[in-house]
Amino acid sequence: MSEITLVIDGVECRASKGETILQVARKNDIYIPTLCWMEGLTPIGSCRMCVVEVAGNAKLLTACTTPAENNMQVSTKTEKLTNYRRQILELLFAGRNHFCMFCSQTGDCELQRLAIEHGMDNVRYPFLYETFHNDASDPNIQIDHNRCILCLRCIRVCAEKVGAHTLDLEKRGWGTNITADLGKKLGESDSCVSCGACAQVCPTGTITLRDFVYRGRRHDCDDQVESICPLCSLGCRIKAYVRTGSVVRVEGISGDSPDGGQLCHMGRWWLPKSTERERLSVPMIRSGSSFREASWEEAIALVAEKMKPALKDDKAGALVSELSTDEELTVISSFFRDTLEMKKMDGFYGNMLRGFVRGLKPFADQGVRPFTGAHNILKSDAIVVVEADPQEETPVAASYIRVSTVIERAKLINVSAGKNPFEGITDSDHRTTKKGMLSLLIALRKAVEGAEEDVSPEVKETAAILRNAKKPVVVIGSKLAEEDPRLVTEAVNLAVASKAFFEDGLGVVPMLRASNSLGALNTITGENDWVSDGQLDFLYVLSTGMVSEDKRSLEAMTRARFVVVHTPFMVHPLVNMADVLLPAPAWFERSGHYCTLEGERRRMNLVTAPVGNMKGLSVIMKEIAGKLGVEMQKASAAPCENVYEAKAPSDAARTVDSTLFAKEVR
Amino acid sequence: MTIFRSHVLICGGTGCTSSGAAEVIGSFKQELARRKLDGEVLVVPTGCHGMCEMGPIVVVYPEGTFYCKVTASDIPEIVEEHIYKGRPVQRLMYEGPGGMSALPHYKDIPFYGKQHRIALANCGYINPENIDEYIARGGYEALGKAITSMTPAQVIDEVKASGLRGRGGGGFPTGLKWSFCAAAQGDKKYVICNADEGDPGAFMDRSILEGDPHSVIEGMMLGGYAMGADEGYVYCRAEYPLAIERLKHAITVAEGYGLLGDNIMNSSFSFHLHIKEGAGAFVCGEETALMGSIEGRRGMPRPRPPFPANSGLWGHPTNINNVETWANIPQIVGNGGEWYASMGTEKSKGTKVFALTGKVKHTGLVEVPMGITLREIIFDIGGGILDDKKFKAVQIGGPSGGCLTEEHLETPVSYESLTALGAIMGSGGLVVMDEDNCMVDVAKFFLEFTQKESCGKCVPCREGTKHMLLLLEKITEGKGTMEDLAMLEELAHMVRDMSLCGLGQTAPNPVLTTLRYFKEEYLAHIRDKRCPAGACTALLEYTIIQDLCKKCGICAKNCPVHCIPGDRKSGYLIETDKCIRCGTCFEKCPFGAIEKK
Repeated sequence: MSEITLVIDGVECRASKGETILQVARKNDIYIPTLCWMEGLTPIGSCRMCVVEVAGNAKLLTACTTPAENNMQVSTKTEKLTNYRRQILELLFAGRNHFCMFCSQTGDCELQRLAIEHGMDNVRYPFLYETFHNDASDPNIQIDHNRCILCLRCIRVCAEKVGAHTLDLEKRGWGTNITADLGKKLGESDSCVSCGACAQVCPTGTITLRDFVYRGRRHDCDDQVESICPLCSLGCRIKAYVRTGSVVRVEGISGDSPDGGQLCHMGRWWLPKSTERERLSVPMIRSGSSFREASWEEAIALVAEKMKPALKDDKAGALVSELSTDEELTVISSFFRDTLEMKKMDGFYGNMLRGFVRGLKPFADQGVRPFTGAHNILKSDAIVVVEADPQEETPVAASYIRVSTVIERAKLINVSAGKNPFEGITDSDHRTTKKGMLSLLIALRKAVEGAEEDVSPEVKETAAILRNAKKPVVVIGSKLAEEDPRLVTEAVNLAVASKAFFEDGLGVVPMLRASNSLGALNTITGENDWVSDGQLDFLYVLSTGMVSEDKRSLEAMTRARFVVVHTPFMVHPLVNMADVLLPAPAWFERSGHYCTLEGERRRMNLVTAPVGNMKGLSVIMKEIAGKLGVEMQKASAAPCENVYEAKAPSDAARTVDSTLFAKEVR
Repeated sequence: MTIFRSHVLICGGTGCTSSGAAEVIGSFKQELARRKLDGEVLVVPTGCHGMCEMGPIVVVYPEGTFYCKVTASDIPEIVEEHIYKGRPVQRLMYEGPGGMSALPHYKDIPFYGKQHRIALANCGYINPENIDEYIARGGYEALGKAITSMTPAQVIDEVKASGLRGRGGGGFPTGLKWSFCAAAQGDKKYVICNADEGDPGAFMDRSILEGDPHSVIEGMMLGGYAMGADEGYVYCRAEYPLAIERLKHAITVAEGYGLLGDNIMNSSFSFHLHIKEGAGAFVCGEETALMGSIEGRRGMPRPRPPFPANSGLWGHPTNINNVETWANIPQIVGNGGEWYASMGTEKSKGTKVFALTGKVKHTGLVEVPMGITLREIIFDIGGGILDDKKFKAVQIGGPSGGCLTEEHLETPVSYESLTALGAIMGSGGLVVMDEDNCMVDVAKFFLEFTQKESCGKCVPCREGTKHMLLLLEKITEGKGTMEDLAMLEELAHMVRDMSLCGLGQTAPNPVLTTLRYFKEEYLAHIRDKRCPAGACTALLEYTIIQDLCKKCGICAKNCPVHCIPGDRKSGYLIETDKCIRCGTCFEKCPFGAIEKK
């Protein structure tokens, strides 16, 4: 990393070889106007706004693409450059429909801002009044081509970060247009994953999201809070926009991060739209087929009254969402497990997590960390997807897989009993049945290790790919863990045999689904699946109300005699099961930590203060404890950060004999 | 091996083929067979001879008798008189200018006399589908010499010594360019031949590929050897199906001879050549867009740096040269760089192939030593202006180039001298214009082309050329103002300075040079609403010269919009506001009584 020095607008700047003039300028707080450039995306130098004059070079160079050289003398704001930039802006305004008064993006538009900065009070070129089409075919994302300045940011983010490459250009010259899937309208596209990254990066009012346009104009928002998405295990960084006390828009944070600031449809839509749901704001007690409002005192007293006898008979249980924060999970486990010594505690994803824990345990016992940060998929050169559908389970992980395969040319191998989620871009596709999965995984591993007999040509080919790969990764679907932990062990065996060793752990990415599956492991995940059988007299349910409950949990709730549901929203059928409803803060009213699949613990920040008659979780538990006549014990659960620890480097891992582990029926 | 007493070379290039050369070749073979002369006389379909105006061309050896505008029906006479009886056919020979007597021999014809064919050395002499003929004229000797007795660095030294500069238009010193790629880090390197030749009217590269494909193949292999590349691509526009066919055939045959592929000539040097067809985009002649196209992406240029020599095709060091540049390499390596440098001027060595078109008597392909004057090319080689009209301007370099006027005719053709005049050498297109060409219309024509071909990536080219074209249309329709002229010039400078690639950067050149040398024409269009050359139809007025009018009524009868009222007694009058300027009346009048101005 050699150091160089250059002068920009008379200011001496230090830089590293390889940095562009724009990067150096930004580091030194020297402003150069840009339009098509965006941090994290490949610079293309097409808008020409960032042109600079370099002494000794007759040509004007774009700062975003030109590498800085030692002793360069750069001028960024000469009269000639300013004149030319102004002409570029005027040409853009004259070319398509940029009448700000009727555009939803006014005030938020980078083209408008640049025009104001450059004093564009008139346009010398005739307005061409050409009509391009307004694509409203997609239910969520609208593309008004009349506003497009062809900065190509949407194309780049969709190709380079989301990996879908849905958008690209059609035609050429003046009639060039963004199009989906080589000539379709966006709503007809097969490859679009509806993540909305295109709208996030669009500098003008071309690509907009119907739900958040106008009302969610960033310019008009009172507050912007950086937080993380509390839904899936990746924990993508988000920015929540607040207007008059309500979350009106959620975006990712564009930049240099591996995910490029993309979100999935859940983070981008479910989070802000949840504010429209009916809130549970006061405790409610069942009265016939509906509920009546109650005070906290009455509600807590009733909860304690029903809990006491059930505890004695070991017929009390707690079902907790793995979307809870570390802090919430610690409180819950310290109350139920440490204080009440209640065995029957579990999470909604309990079976899946038990499958993963048991499957990964032999390797954790070797001292290695049996998984790697999900973004390392981008560094992989061979990815094996085992019974997973990442676009469903952890959408941005699917983006990593697509980008790694299509752009970085990694090999992609699918092993499944169901469909091939990456049909069209896989190099090998192994289909089997549920019963045949174990032997297939064993056969693949043996072939990688060198076995030659009874090896089918497809398995041989895949084994060769994995042997030659320098950084293979195995993605394990949640369905596999639910089915049989031995399958998980064999999938990890395959990774070990292929030498999938990363610095932070084994080259394994488990589809853990919930945002705090890792945090739940030490706290609320039960020893066994008591939920599926048994009749409970008392069941406490803590749900964030953001993800629908699964069949197992709902059936358990139906069977239980007395159900307490602690949740923020009046969502059905969850609240229908309840005898007592306790209001919980919604995602935007909570803060806390999550142990994410990206390999680090991240903090969710409070966006708006809780409304209604809210009580904190630890206060509620303390009051119930008081009514039960017990004192709250300190949490004994190990901090969830332990889950990232490793005593040995990943290449110390050895394969294990999965037959030694009997298949435990849940 | 059969020895033939006579070789009959018939041009099979695209130009002559479209004039019926295929029938001529077929008919000749048939006639020879019928007269049982096919064992003594060989018919050789060759590449382009250059004098495309006069095609189909037939040259009979050993005499070197040159026949032009030959049709299939002439064949029996040629065979009977010339082949059989030894009496050349006078009427089919080339007639010199100014009523000179028929010139039978190649070397006597002024069109060829002043040419010095190096890149085109084999075009017109060999059958491009017969590798033995290429080899017989010294082909693949340079490759053998290089592989067996020269180091890669020595090959580059010869190219440097030759002074060869990029013939595609850039004029960058080829040897220097090769040394960049040779020095670049990386085990995998590529060489590319840019055969996209998109300039309208240019066909130099096409003729070389059709007429002598092995010269390009050998040149690329020499380049691969010199720079450490084992793979090459020829990017050829899809509109050249014959060139692609000849190239494919040449590659297959060369591979069969062990002259291409693995372990060439049993050495450790291997080289594989692929063809990638273009798909109708002029912008793909720009090197970074070309590479994007080969990679399977949309053909749009990328900013440089990084330069292809360091990061080109799929990120590997790549050297791209034009067809003509590659075609010169075998002779340079074979005869030595100094031999090539002995021709031309101090800074522009060697020869250049030009496509001489427009209002000259002999349009076609010419190869001349650098330093020859424009006057010599246009008047001596080209035979002067068609119909002996007055020379007005010559456009050099196609849509990227500029116009030069009468005062520049003595200019020696070289990179520096043309740049000094605000023009560029370009790929070699020369369009000669006479008094009937309107320079504003010429600028508009080229801008229409570049506007259509603009890829749309950068704002100056995409939007700027659009507005420039609108302004030119306004001016040629008589609706232009002086403010429009100022805006046109302002836009031209901005588009030139701000565009991302060569297409946009050079698109304003025709406008800028015509503004520089033909300002009065622009002013006439704006102030007087008049086109001095009489080309801009919107500004033309057709009137009946009453003194000459015989009141025959033919004009009125033929007028498609019936705008000539009158009768045979009182005469006729053209209603100018209804007139659509189709020119039918002008052409039909038997007495020349209609004038247009």
